[in-house]
Amino acid sequence: MAKRNNLSESAVQAKRFSTAMITPTFIVLAIMTVYPLLFTFVYSFTDYNLLGTMSGSVNATGIKNYTDILTDGYFQQSVWNTVKFTILTVVFEMLVGFIMALFVNSLNKGQKIMRTLLLLPYLLPTVTVALIWRMMLSPNYGIVNQFLESLHIPVYNWFSDIETAFGMLVLIDVWQCAPFVFLLLYAALQSVPQSQYEAARMDGAGPLKILFYITIPNIKKSLALCALLRTIDSFRLFDKVNLLTGGGPANSTSTITQYLYNYGIKTFDFGFGSAGAVVMLIIVLILSSFYIKRAIK
Amino acid sequence: MKRKSLCMILAGMMALSLTACGGNGGGDSAEASADGSTTMSIALRGGVYADVIKECLPAFEEEHNVTIDVQELSEEDLHTSVALNATSAEGAYDLVMVDGSWMAEYTEAGVLANLSDLGYELDDDIIEATTSICYVDDSVYLAPYYGNVTVLMMNKANVEEAGYTVDSVDSLEAVLDICEQAKANGKNGFLYRGDNQNNLVVDFLPILLSYGGWVVDEENQPTVNSDEFIDAMNYYVELIGTGEAQVKDDLVASIDNGAATMGVAWPGWYTPTADSAADYIAMSGKATSDAEAFASNVYGIWCLGVPENSQNKELATELLSYLMDKDVQYSTVESGGVPCRYSSLQDEEVLAKYPQYEVVCKALETGVYRPVIAEWTEFYTTLGSEMDNIINGAKTVEEGLNDAQTELEELMAR
Repeated sequence: MAKRNNLSESAVQAKRFSTAMITPTFIVLAIMTVYPLLFTFVYSFTDYNLLGTMSGSVNATGIKNYTDILTDGYFQQSVWNTVKFTILTVVFEMLVGFIMALFVNSLNKGQKIMRTLLLLPYLLPTVTVALIWRMMLSPNYGIVNQFLESLHIPVYNWFSDIETAFGMLVLIDVWQCAPFVFLLLYAALQSVPQSQYEAARMDGAGPLKILFYITIPNIKKSLALCALLRTIDSFRLFDKVNLLTGGGPANSTSTITQYLYNYGIKTFDFGFGSAGAVVMLIIVLILSSFYIKRAIK
Repeated sequence: MKRKSLCMILAGMMALSLTACGGNGGGDSAEASADGSTTMSIALRGGVYADVIKECLPAFEEEHNVTIDVQELSEEDLHTSVALNATSAEGAYDLVMVDGSWMAEYTEAGVLANLSDLGYELDDDIIEATTSICYVDDSVYLAPYYGNVTVLMMNKANVEEAGYTVDSVDSLEAVLDICEQAKANGKNGFLYRGDNQNNLVVDFLPILLSYGGWVVDEENQPTVNSDEFIDAMNYYVELIGTGEAQVKDDLVASIDNGAATMGVAWPGWYTPTADSAADYIAMSGKATSDAEAFASNVYGIWCLGVPENSQNKELATELLSYLMDKDVQYSTVESGGVPCRYSSLQDEEVLAKYPQYEVVCKALETGVYRPVIAEWTEFYTTLGSEMDNIINGAKTVEEGLNDAQTELEELMAR
């Protein structure tokens, strides 16, 4: 009996301890995430303007912000640009990152050096990355155009040409973020049991069969997680666009965040901006739902 | 026991971090420090505009036993920071740099203090045209500090190769002729900044003014599909067809090294000398050599103001008076300062060393401020987006300008 009491007491203590451990996270999340989210949602139904509020009041506008934003051609183009950017970058980053991980994992020597070198672009701040690429692709003194000119290949004004600006943003993002995919997949590859490879080889499986029947099935959870994280991150793309193209030329690189910055934040029209943020949240949730469902299962 | 200690430590850390987050930011505003000196905070536009102010501060700090914390911000960050600061009861800034085009939205919202009430008045030495937006009901709210005004920057050799001299470029017709010749010679003709809507609009405004057009009428209603606007836009599309879009640093470097021929620039970007490859002139305001000359130089003057919620308005006004003092402003010329003052811009010694200040003075005397309307940020974003569509061939001139007109009419009707 005494033993049973001791057991239940320790179970209660364990429960208390876990509650105590969760509470700080819960409070921080409530303050930092739930509260702003609720406020954004409420503001999205008002005409709240930062400076306007100082000289007037905030009025409820119903769903006007939502109808305005959803019928705006620039917003529709920004959504399309964002979706296109997300799909392209996630596909290329997953592919490049996976190839990098397979390559480094296959090395017998120099894995650590290679790992560090390949990670460098991801460690750089985005502003630095944007400025480096702006200098390299400068039509005036950029090394890329000088190199192409020396080969008598036509040069471009990369960020101002409607044909190239979007592609350059995809390229830069892949260059910077593929190492993130590499890191996660490399860690996953390290945990694949070697015995499975040995057995496959003994059964006469070639490299492609090993890849599709041993490697990929073993790291599929990491692949899904990578894709989810990159999808969410790519969807929020802002700093590169704002620094390099400002959404131009002709709105061809404008993303949802850049649109919200131009028409909501810069103009202090936070009610309108909030509606845009809610719409963006819904789109991200829809896009991510596939991965989230798998994660919950 | 270990668990309890861990819990206590975590709870303590959380309480500390929340306390830190909840600080009232009082440390930023004017306050007395332990040694009895006062600390002030000022927000400035980064670059040469802030540099010339920073070099003047030590003398003021010493005389008033004050420490001045300077925040250098980009144009957009400054615009946002000043507005956000205004929402606090106790402001973090004591003096701020303000672009003339923000005046309407700031004064409507009571962001700026009435300088006349604080005992400051503008003097007669300041070029009168530059003060036109500084008053509300005869009270001063801003002081024009840095005389930024659009000029036409050009590469001297490229201009001479086209059979002109810098001084003989007297109309937009001549500008196009020179740029077309440069393009035919394998160089870039006219460069423009296409990296954001503000730059797109601002670089175009001098051209629009030269055609006798403007973005709004006397009642501040949009006029972006007027005949003058359409003519100016057609000309501009032809002109920029001789060159390309580049960011500011590339634009200046390209014109300086001769890779490009011309572009709209600001005096703060480049200091021409007798030996430099590039020079600049005030725009003539004429579409053709025998057309009417309009005032066509657009102000980008950086003004100084005191936030209404400054915790140290009197001292901030003293600082503003000190920085606007004609001798103090004269001393900044050596470092690239462009005061809106006759005593600096017409001084013989200054002109002997920096002859381009004669051009700047002329441009400042006849300059035009961007519309003083609270909706200006949204206005130029809409107009710039449609101009971007036109320039990149996504819309015709008429389509783009008619769409812009419709959107802007809706904006101004709100």
